[in-house]
Amino acid sequence: MKNLVYKAVAVLALSATFTACSNDDEVIVGTGNLGLEFDNSFSGNDLILDTQANTTASSEVLKISSIKYIVSNIVLTAEDGSIFTYPKSSSYFIVDESDAATHVLNLKDIPAANYTKVTFGIGVDKAQYEAGATGQGDFLATADAAGMMWGWSAGYKFLALEGTFTSAQYTTAVPFKVHTGQTGTDYNYTTVSLDLNSKALVRETITPQVHIKADLSKILNSTNVIKLSDNNPNGTGANIMAGANLSLITANIATMFTVDHVHND
Amino acid sequence: MKNTIIIFLVSFCSIQFSIAAPIKDSISSFTFQKLQFEAALDFDCDACGCSASGGSMGFSSMLNSNFVGVRYFYQSYSSKDGIFNNSPWVDENFNTTQVWAKIPVTDKIQVTALIPYHFHNRELSTGSENINGLGDITVMATYSVFKTQKDSAVFVHDVQLGGGVKLPTGQFKEANNAGTVNQSFQLGTGSWDYLLLTEYVIKRKSLGLNTMLNYTIKTENDKKYQFGNQLNYGSTLFYLLDFNSLQFVPQVGIAGEVYETNKQYGENVLNTAGDILFSKFGFELGKDRFSLGVNAMLPINQHLSNGKIEANYRWSVNLNYSL
Repeated sequence: MKNLVYKAVAVLALSATFTACSNDDEVIVGTGNLGLEFDNSFSGNDLILDTQANTTASSEVLKISSIKYIVSNIVLTAEDGSIFTYPKSSSYFIVDESDAATHVLNLKDIPAANYTKVTFGIGVDKAQYEAGATGQGDFLATADAAGMMWGWSAGYKFLALEGTFTSAQYTTAVPFKVHTGQTGTDYNYTTVSLDLNSKALVRETITPQVHIKADLSKILNSTNVIKLSDNNPNGTGANIMAGANLSLITANIATMFTVDHVHND
Repeated sequence: MKNTIIIFLVSFCSIQFSIAAPIKDSISSFTFQKLQFEAALDFDCDACGCSASGGSMGFSSMLNSNFVGVRYFYQSYSSKDGIFNNSPWVDENFNTTQVWAKIPVTDKIQVTALIPYHFHNRELSTGSENINGLGDITVMATYSVFKTQKDSAVFVHDVQLGGGVKLPTGQFKEANNAGTVNQSFQLGTGSWDYLLLTEYVIKRKSLGLNTMLNYTIKTENDKKYQFGNQLNYGSTLFYLLDFNSLQFVPQVGIAGEVYETNKQYGENVLNTAGDILFSKFGFELGKDRFSLGVNAMLPINQHLSNGKIEANYRWSVNLNYSL
């Protein structure tokens, strides 16, 4: 009887082993889709527009009414090192916190592969801008409608953060606007490269979703520290839209994205 | 809440006691062995969801008669619905009614079957979600490796080994796992899972200690999702108080669960591993062929899903009938 039990246990263990190994020989072919989700937050808290008081590391309290940024030139790197560049003509997006439909970038016709890295730009790259107004395709009108253009000669706004703030110096709420883009001396387009913490398995039947967290607190407080209170000369509003601060803020923006997780559904 | 449960248990206990104690029935078929069976059957279902619930249970070598019983258990969890500090906590209520039977095949071999029915619910920001239906049926066999035969022995030992299989009879819905909340809000794992179990009982006179260890090997289901393997362990100290027609067995112990990482398409699903240690206490009440058990489990410490899931408490009530 003992032998019978041992045999039964052995059979169970073996069958478990075989079941677990059944799909190792998958041949990866075809194309699939992938979603890049941009989830805005402030120091670990999910962003709530208008009402949420967000305290910066500089002890300024921000109420954010609007945050928009341009995501562009998406590149996916597979586990074998091969690189897929999303077609440039389709690779410009605006993420707008107030419009949930813009939070997920739905990328289509991606070669099936196990992707381990995503790279994207914030803003519109210089080469694309230099292609001239006619070279922009539909995106010029889209950006204009979203208020992400200063006008053709001044160019695109790459990121636009707006709201009101208070600080030790300004106890009554003061409006602020942080708009990045090119200045006379700096172009201020930045590239972000993120390793995925689990592989994105693009298949005909699997559409992975890469959940990216954007921590807006880093716009003002990261590699560089920028205080709104220092940019409010008349006391009526802090408007950071030009000058040396933009390249400092651009360097900060490059640090604000992290991959939280990847769904393979 | 924890205090409420303790008070409930204590008062329930004493009411039962006071009502039942004066009854003097000269014949009772209720035995120590049956009580031990109760002590061994912990409701150690998947902490990370009842997907495999009822699948892993203790067992007893001491039982020589056929049993059929029904048990209800409730588990309260809170899960974080989102990835941020201010993401809402969602209450999850896992209810299970389970029919079980234990049948000895020979002197040393017993077969146990567990048939759970789940009705779970949770309140998401988008509305409440309910799932109910048949869970995963478990069938297992245990073999008595060593058993003290002499009645005169000071210590009585019993060692059992066993194995079993959990059938994918409970529905696994991929959609339930699409969010970031508890990945185990499911009726079943959807997979064929295998159990290995061992149990040791030592007793001296009216005092006994039941220690069990079991391991569940979970396989990939047809949706390519694979729950992590699970280790359960526990130890229960029990004491028999015999009032002629009525037996009362208070019990106290600990129970632990360790979960490995879940996988989807062979890739690790983040924040799905974890472990939890419970204290447990309860009592069994036996009269004639019937026995009633009430148990509660409160977490001592836990690290489930990287802190994104918290077990609050569990309690169970069961009624068994000796065939």
